[in-house]
Amino acid sequence: MAQFRGDCAVVAGRPLADAAALQAWSLAEPRAFWRALLERSGLLYEGALEPVRDGDDVRAARYFPALRLNYAENLLRSLRPGDDAQPAVIGWTEEGARTLLTRGQLRSKVLALAGALRALGIGPGDRVACMSSNAPPAIVACLAATALGAVWSTVAPDLGTEATRDRFAQLEPKLLFAVAGYRHHGAGRPVRDKLSALVRELPSLRHVIALGEPLQLAGVAVPEYSMAALLQQGPPLQQYPRLPFDHPLFVLFSSGTTGKPKAIVHSLGGTLLEHWKELRLHSDLSSDDVLYFHTTCGWMMWNWQLSALACGTTIVLLDGSVSFPQSDALLLLLMRERVSVFGTSPAYLQYLRDAGISPRELGDWPALRAIQSTGSILFDAQYHWVKEHWKHLPIQSISGGTDVLGCLVLGHPELPVHAGESQCVSLGIDVQALDGGNTARVGSGELVVANPFPSRPLGFLHDADGARCRDAYYAAHPGLWTHGDFVQLTAHGSARILGRSDGTLNVKGVRIGPAEIYAILQGFPGLIDCMALEQQAEKELGGSRLVLLVVLADGQALDRPFVLKLKKELSQRGSPAHVPAVVAKVASVPVTFSGKKSERAATDALHGREVTNRAAIKNPECLDEIAGHADLRLAEA
Amino acid sequence: MQAGSSPHHKTADANFAMTADTRLPPVRKLVIDWLDDNHHFGEAEQLIGSDDRSFLENGILDSLGFVQLVLHIENTYRLKVDRKTLTPANFDSLGKIVAYISKHPDYQGPK
Repeated sequence: MAQFRGDCAVVAGRPLADAAALQAWSLAEPRAFWRALLERSGLLYEGALEPVRDGDDVRAARYFPALRLNYAENLLRSLRPGDDAQPAVIGWTEEGARTLLTRGQLRSKVLALAGALRALGIGPGDRVACMSSNAPPAIVACLAATALGAVWSTVAPDLGTEATRDRFAQLEPKLLFAVAGYRHHGAGRPVRDKLSALVRELPSLRHVIALGEPLQLAGVAVPEYSMAALLQQGPPLQQYPRLPFDHPLFVLFSSGTTGKPKAIVHSLGGTLLEHWKELRLHSDLSSDDVLYFHTTCGWMMWNWQLSALACGTTIVLLDGSVSFPQSDALLLLLMRERVSVFGTSPAYLQYLRDAGISPRELGDWPALRAIQSTGSILFDAQYHWVKEHWKHLPIQSISGGTDVLGCLVLGHPELPVHAGESQCVSLGIDVQALDGGNTARVGSGELVVANPFPSRPLGFLHDADGARCRDAYYAAHPGLWTHGDFVQLTAHGSARILGRSDGTLNVKGVRIGPAEIYAILQGFPGLIDCMALEQQAEKELGGSRLVLLVVLADGQALDRPFVLKLKKELSQRGSPAHVPAVVAKVASVPVTFSGKKSERAATDALHGREVTNRAAIKNPECLDEIAGHADLRLAEA
Repeated sequence: MQAGSSPHHKTADANFAMTADTRLPPVRKLVIDWLDDNHHFGEAEQLIGSDDRSFLENGILDSLGFVQLVLHIENTYRLKVDRKTLTPANFDSLGKIVAYISKHPDYQGPK
């Protein structure tokens, strides 16, 4: 970062003395900044660097319209002599099986598979779906698909049937990679039945490829191949096609308060350049580092940690449980692989504390130099716990999300860490707090971005006129990107994320759209209506709990069999994360005069806050019921 | 309080005598109810089968779940489990949990 700051000072023609000066320059001279970033990244590209940006509109401006590049090529390139013999990806299963791919081996496999995929007719723009646990074959498959310019999207195999279908039906994939099952905490969990049903419902599919053991799908006409066989097929891809900066790269899904999950399309150039900035500069990752970021394939952090290959960093994966076969299993894995940057969540740190596990007792952790945490809010006490029970390490609380496939606030190697805060705002991104119609770089309010940044999504699938994407991010406050979080921006440049502002739920680090829960419970016997809310609860794993308000039919009691049946439905058709911690009976849930449910009003009432949109609620008496509901009180310490 | 879950017991502190507080559920019921509420939704008893069946080996509960269960036990009975004793030898079956918690010096629930 310091070297980059010096390079930027040369471009600026004046000293940029510190992190704040560099950030200010990146916002004042965005074209010079993004050009300098790309030129100094060492990323491979062709075409013209100018224009850097074709306008200034927050929604419409596009970056590097005359530039072409390839994602996989940049992740697999050699950064220094001898790189090809160095580990690129190390995968572990929870049973202790280790797979190591050097950079050279990974590249060979990717090119071989890309050649086979091309022979199957896969090319630029084709959509490729994947259902996999977090293991090396998914990475080989992703890089092979993106090497060809195909568009990649993954889900984890534990996602419920309906939630998976809601995603892949929108994706309309031509090709599906999948595992036949996965293991978690010592138990094998086959997904063949789910996969068979899914494949039958995807008419766009032309091929299915088993990442590991044969899938043996039932009643499926689509041909199945084995990845192992395709790797031997040849000939390998000889040359990576370079594609426009705004070529689609990844589709990620995010649920809102209404409708199906949003199928968010992210660009090749925006993703790669933003990830390089966050990983190489803000996280200071290089060829000397080993990164473990705990994630499933279905979370955006999987894509994020994958991009660390572009910095020469070794990435370590775990396919299975963090606490199998013993409660500190993940810690032992981190030590064994000499992980230098550990990416985790507040929930895992809380688990360690609650389980009485003290990493300090396991060793000195000489390789570990930083912890990154994301998924939910990291509380001040957890910073102190790490210092006391682990090591005096920088803890970088990073936050952004699926919508930007990256971070808006994150770490910085030159800045101090303040407990409970992210160290800084991401370079070149004008994050501001909106309060009472005014935006400011210091203050509290709705998190907005006041300039166009390269990692904004290209749009959503099935949103030809862009209306849904515009409504999601740009309509609430014209001229700004509205992110859906509340933020506090401090005078020393750091940030605290205060929670969601848009009614979506973040439970144990998993983001869930209430709409998914409503869809599952539609027609549930005895249930008239319901509303899903996130209640802040510091004692809960992840700092909050999922609350479900239910309106019951006449004669239906909120008894134990009813609650258990409802939870089972949500677990099986959604996921364990969709199961509420509390189910509370209410007379009605708040709706606006236009008939739309208002999770925001209910959440304000639940937390004892003033309900800012009370005047817009048709049945405000229900807010008083929520605010005073005995079942929704948090247990005292 | 959630429908069907164990009764709240804020007044348990007032009960200084080491006699059983009948307002608290027995350990066995507490564990089964918690497993039903959080993981198995009405099928916990059937999955457990017998008192000596391993929770870990049979996918009834994982290590993260154990920690949550122990926190629930601690909050309900107002006692503290020494984390060094949080091992499969003490907690990996219904019978082991019942035996361990019932013998805990601060346990005041029904025996």
